[in-house]
Amino acid sequence: MKKVFVVFLLLASLVMGSALFAQVTQIPREEAVYVAGFQWGPPTTDNPLAGGPMTFVSDPRQHIWIYETLFTWDALNGKYVPILGESYRWLDDLRLEVKVNPKAYFHDGEPVTADDVVYSYKLGQKYPLGLQIWEWLKDVYKVDNHTVIFEMKPDNPNRLMVEDAIGATFILPEHIWSKVEAENNYDLTKIRQFRNENPVGSGPYKVFYESPETIILERVDNYWGNEALHGGKKPAAKYIVHPIFKSNDEGSLAFENGEVDVSQQFTPRIWEMWEKKGLPVGTWYDEIPYYVPSSMPSLWFNVNKYPLSLPEVRKAIAYSVNYSRISELAMSNYSPKVQASLILPYGGEAKYFDENLVKQYGWEYNPKEAVRILEEDLGATKGRDGIYVLPDGTRLGPFTVECPYGWTDWNASLQIVAQSARAVGIDIQTSFPDAPIAYDNRQTGNFDMTMWTPSQPSPAQPWLRFQIALYSKGVPEVGQIAYSNFGRYRNEWADQLIDMNPKVTNEKELKNLYTELDQIYREDIPMFPLMYRPQTFYEYNETYWTGWANAKNPYAPPMPLVGAGMEMLWHLEPAK
Amino acid sequence: MKEFTRYFFQKFFWYLLAFFLALFLNFFLPRLIPGDPISVIVSKMMSGTVASETQERVYQSFVEEFGLDKPLPIQFFKYIGNVFRGDLGTSFSLYPLSVNEVLGNAIVWTISLQFPAIIVGWILGNLLGAAAAYRKGFFDKTIFPVALFVNSIPYYALAIILLYVFGVYLGWFPIGGGYSRTLLPSWSWAFVIDVLHHYFLPFISIVLVTIGGQAIGMREMSIYELNTDYVTYSKMLGIKDKKIQSYVFKNAVLPQITGLAISLGTMIGGALITEIVFGYPGVGTWLFNGIRQLDYPMIQGSTLIIAMMVLIANFILDMVYGLIDPRIKAAQTEEG
Repeated sequence: MKKVFVVFLLLASLVMGSALFAQVTQIPREEAVYVAGFQWGPPTTDNPLAGGPMTFVSDPRQHIWIYETLFTWDALNGKYVPILGESYRWLDDLRLEVKVNPKAYFHDGEPVTADDVVYSYKLGQKYPLGLQIWEWLKDVYKVDNHTVIFEMKPDNPNRLMVEDAIGATFILPEHIWSKVEAENNYDLTKIRQFRNENPVGSGPYKVFYESPETIILERVDNYWGNEALHGGKKPAAKYIVHPIFKSNDEGSLAFENGEVDVSQQFTPRIWEMWEKKGLPVGTWYDEIPYYVPSSMPSLWFNVNKYPLSLPEVRKAIAYSVNYSRISELAMSNYSPKVQASLILPYGGEAKYFDENLVKQYGWEYNPKEAVRILEEDLGATKGRDGIYVLPDGTRLGPFTVECPYGWTDWNASLQIVAQSARAVGIDIQTSFPDAPIAYDNRQTGNFDMTMWTPSQPSPAQPWLRFQIALYSKGVPEVGQIAYSNFGRYRNEWADQLIDMNPKVTNEKELKNLYTELDQIYREDIPMFPLMYRPQTFYEYNETYWTGWANAKNPYAPPMPLVGAGMEMLWHLEPAK
Repeated sequence: MKEFTRYFFQKFFWYLLAFFLALFLNFFLPRLIPGDPISVIVSKMMSGTVASETQERVYQSFVEEFGLDKPLPIQFFKYIGNVFRGDLGTSFSLYPLSVNEVLGNAIVWTISLQFPAIIVGWILGNLLGAAAAYRKGFFDKTIFPVALFVNSIPYYALAIILLYVFGVYLGWFPIGGGYSRTLLPSWSWAFVIDVLHHYFLPFISIVLVTIGGQAIGMREMSIYELNTDYVTYSKMLGIKDKKIQSYVFKNAVLPQITGLAISLGTMIGGALITEIVFGYPGVGTWLFNGIRQLDYPMIQGSTLIIAMMVLIANFILDMVYGLIDPRIKAAQTEEG
């Protein structure tokens, strides 16, 4: 009797168990778009005010899936794409008027109004959130329910950065966040700690599921923009899934296998996927350079450290670098020829680029010219070990050049820099510490040479790049933390020109100013670009979804469903 | 019993002292790594912006939030106070997650991987080692060299070889993670099977090294015991081999139990390489990330857990020995 009972119990528990186990736990593959390359650690919070390093929804320039910005930037043509903001115009020298789309509403049905916009920007005035706009802004106020005015400080206006900011701040629902503020006693540290599970935004997706391995967003079926911006169409993908890979290799493998549909990871030799393996994979261009150049990772000098303080030494190094080798070996040919300018010869800022001046005064890979500068301009002589020595007995090196460990393409680039320099007789050694140490060295000026990108594409380019590379006002001494001008370059004339630029509206005058700045830059060369990189990498796999934008069908910029590339969500179709 | 109470308190006092020393090191060692963790957080937030007061204000607000503006001794006492309240602080690199939360989830993965693996490896290793010693001949000639071989491969190399052969080359097992990213954790067969699928390689790697080490030790102890007088005497008395083997096993296994206790105590620290190689979401992974990201609270939290596990395991061991072996207790209390 006892035995029978035990058997019965076992059977019963098995049946109950399977019933429990039977619930659906897998996202249907054909309803989900898998993206990769934006998140490398567990999601920690959905609070856009936390500003932490690993928050999935916190980058208003990219992840406008849940919260939206007024506009988003299309680096291809240098123009804004309207989202919550319908249009903008300068009323006079100090006032920018933005119209808010009256059709916009949040997920909970509340309308997006001028009050929400004013509220969102003013948070940056109330708390240290990193919202820089308040350096230049006097006030933000509403005129009517759908019109907002940004008024700059008369003594410190900066229309470039204000224009930049209207594309770089999330509009949050005031009716929700004012409560969050009050509940946390208006204490920023407490507000930052608020986790914001199930964020209520105005965007086309909302959080469905988050874990340290995956983030899944679900389509908002009554998203206001479907009607107002996309002709009544809904995105075809019900889910957006972002698997969190531990390494680039893991992500690339998943992409190749079709487990990821679109990715912004650096994938070496991408063309082999379609040329050799016949996979349904594509990038923006189907030939070199495959991606659209948009930012310039550069080599920065510590310009106060002798003998790197001599512009001739810096120039000799710039002449010694084999740029095409960097492009070929480190960047898989994804970088076109680098030019001796802080102005990008592509996209919205190309109009300021002066090719003749670059040719006349710029540098390029030319080891003979590097040797000539060393011997004739500096009077250096080659020592027995093949390294040049200045007339005062200073040996050219060993200098170290550093960047974070594990950034494989950067590591390879710096190895080429070191080899190139040694070939002409300058001793450069590479050093790859862990990221926090490399960051710290860079910011405190504790380096000979370091590698970093002077700011991303934005409406404020190329001004912002000049500002970050050359501007010395407000940059503290070596030893203290600086977030720009890491080598502590100082040039009063350059400072003045940089101060002048954001007030100028005349295009011709603007071009002259940029040309002048670029000439100063070429003379003093406090840093120089090693490569051009895309804003985000962009490669798609058509196994499950088709309709991706590319150079032949350029309806959206090459960004994997982020920023202005979001547009693709409405063009994707399931592969048959 | 009075003697044991004295022994207990004496030991307890020393372990308490060791615990405070560990707390001290946990706090100060991470701070010796060069670099400023706050500037890393702020630079990620402010990357690509112009030089300004805003950056300074943001920086200051984080420094205050983490209490890094206070002198080190005050930070230290605050840390001690929080530890005793069970609060390990807020992670820097995973801001605003708390270390409790991150490590709380991770430790489940670590223990469910390590504990069964160590136990299984220990049992198999001891059985094989004993068998090698008794049966000798062919059995001894194969098991012993294989065990020696497995044991002499550095663990990380063994793990990487397993991963390469069975994960990358043959493709039988996934190459990383605790479960597939396409699945949502739930009590479903699909998920359980998936977890086991991910579990297998790291599990077997630990079992293999544990078997190797245990088998060698057990074989040697057993051979030693087999040559003792009581075995010869028992044989002369005509006691059955099975019976003698059980005596030998009991005596030989005693030192092996010490080994087991130590491996259980150090399992979380030992998990580090397994978890890094197999991308397993446990404490070791977070310790490693914490070190690379200058995440003081995360480093402090993980090393504290490791130190406590080691101390507790050793303390229990000491107590057990004190109870079962009067010589140890006597010797220790006399010394102290």
